[in-house]
Amino acid sequence: MTDEMIRAEGVSMRFCRGLETGGTLKQAFIDALSPARRAARGQHSDFWALRGVDFTVRRGEVLGLIGPNGTGKSTLLKLIAGVLKPTEGRIALGGTVCPMIELGTGFDLDLTARENIYLNGAILGYSRDFLARRFDEIVAFSELEDFLDAPLRGFSSGMTARLAFSIATVVEPEILIVDEILSVGDLAFQAKSEARMLRLIGGGTTVLYVSHALSSIRRLCQRVLWLEGGRVRAIGEADEICEKYEHAAQESVMNNENLKLNN
Amino acid sequence: MSVTARLGALSARYAFLLQQLVLRDFKVKYKRSVLGVGWSLLYPLLTTAILSLVFSNVFRFSTPGVSYVAYLLTGLVFYNYFSEGSNLAMSSILANGSLIGKVYVPKAVFPLSKCLSSGINFLLSLLPLYLVLLLTGTGLCWQHVFLPWACGCLFLFTLGVGLLLAAAAVFLRDIVYLYGVVLTLWMYLTPIMYDVSIISSPLLRAAIALNPLAQYIGFARTVLLLHRTPEAGQFALCALSAIGTLLVGLHIFRCNQDKFYYYM
Repeated sequence: MTDEMIRAEGVSMRFCRGLETGGTLKQAFIDALSPARRAARGQHSDFWALRGVDFTVRRGEVLGLIGPNGTGKSTLLKLIAGVLKPTEGRIALGGTVCPMIELGTGFDLDLTARENIYLNGAILGYSRDFLARRFDEIVAFSELEDFLDAPLRGFSSGMTARLAFSIATVVEPEILIVDEILSVGDLAFQAKSEARMLRLIGGGTTVLYVSHALSSIRRLCQRVLWLEGGRVRAIGEADEICEKYEHAAQESVMNNENLKLNN
Repeated sequence: MSVTARLGALSARYAFLLQQLVLRDFKVKYKRSVLGVGWSLLYPLLTTAILSLVFSNVFRFSTPGVSYVAYLLTGLVFYNYFSEGSNLAMSSILANGSLIGKVYVPKAVFPLSKCLSSGINFLLSLLPLYLVLLLTGTGLCWQHVFLPWACGCLFLFTLGVGLLLAAAAVFLRDIVYLYGVVLTLWMYLTPIMYDVSIISSPLLRAAIALNPLAQYIGFARTVLLLHRTPEAGQFALCALSAIGTLLVGLHIFRCNQDKFYYYM
């Protein structure tokens, strides 16, 4: 079907937890000298962040992604953004992806704001023409006209965040990945940036939206995917899934309370 | 050739990103220094001055028939490019670890951009080299048109080694330190300060003959100092070692790039 923008089929992702300890010559020696220890390390470290995840997202649909911490939401976003490759299964995309996961990665503090707009834009995959056309818009939105030729080193964190947000959100992507609504800067800029995010989400692009704020999920998403323990717990109409999720969360809190009382 | 074709396609699609990365490296390199780009010209001259003082006066090295200073600088300019380019390319993946975990970028652009930005430096250092060629009375000749062959081979070779090291350094950080030592050894196994004729051990001679850097430097010296057209064998050997190394480096990099993320 041409109308499908994201199709995940049996996507599984395995991480090796022990890897942080490896990567040095010392570890390589230890492993070489003691195969038993190496095998033990290998068994301990396997960890499936996602297991057999299937879903599709149609063009223009806003799919919410919910679930407790550590259930693989960010991993799923990284897989769709192409940063990671699934251990099993496959992901097919029907358009360009703009990952809006973390702002400002790839800024160079020694370069000016102007130079960073081009560098960061290039990293995010914008073309030279696109950047040239939208340069003024980026600058105007960030309200940093007066600091355009100052190196980023001297910027406050709020100014840097404003610049990053302005660069990241001028896009017209076909698939937009949003990990929590980003609102940065002071109060006035927060309102402005939130309005822009809402416009992007509501503007007919296909969106994958992760949030713990169920109210905004209900407001923005048509459908919701509930991940738990790396598997799809439920997928369906937003209100319905959110209700079930809330119910389950309350129940687990109550169970915990009961346990404490009984002890 | 399909691998080089793919590398070409990659650089065409990401030409803008590549250009921005190279520009960044170049701008940042001399930021806040008074002489700025002047250092690219001055640095090879100053090291040559010191080395030629030490080796021609203290150790009494000489290169009959050609100027020792010109001989030395030719070798240094080539070696410096290799040393700088491969070193920067080696750490380029580690240095951009946070980026690689967040945005999809073809990972080979990082080592490639480092080899290119060092290339700008290399081209600039050709200016003092030509200055020395003129001042020492070595002079110019039409055979200089062959010099880009040596430069191109040097670039491909450095890129190949850089890709290999960049991938290896992700899995084994010790490579970064180890390579510093290897580079020192490599410098002495390359006839930069001495002429191969002073080496008597046949084993050492064979090692030098197989050393790609020695091949490129030898090629450049044939053109610049002896004013001769290199032999067909020299052309072939240079291209062979350069393209061969690039293919090996590219293959190892491509086979491992999906695993980088886990080791950052």
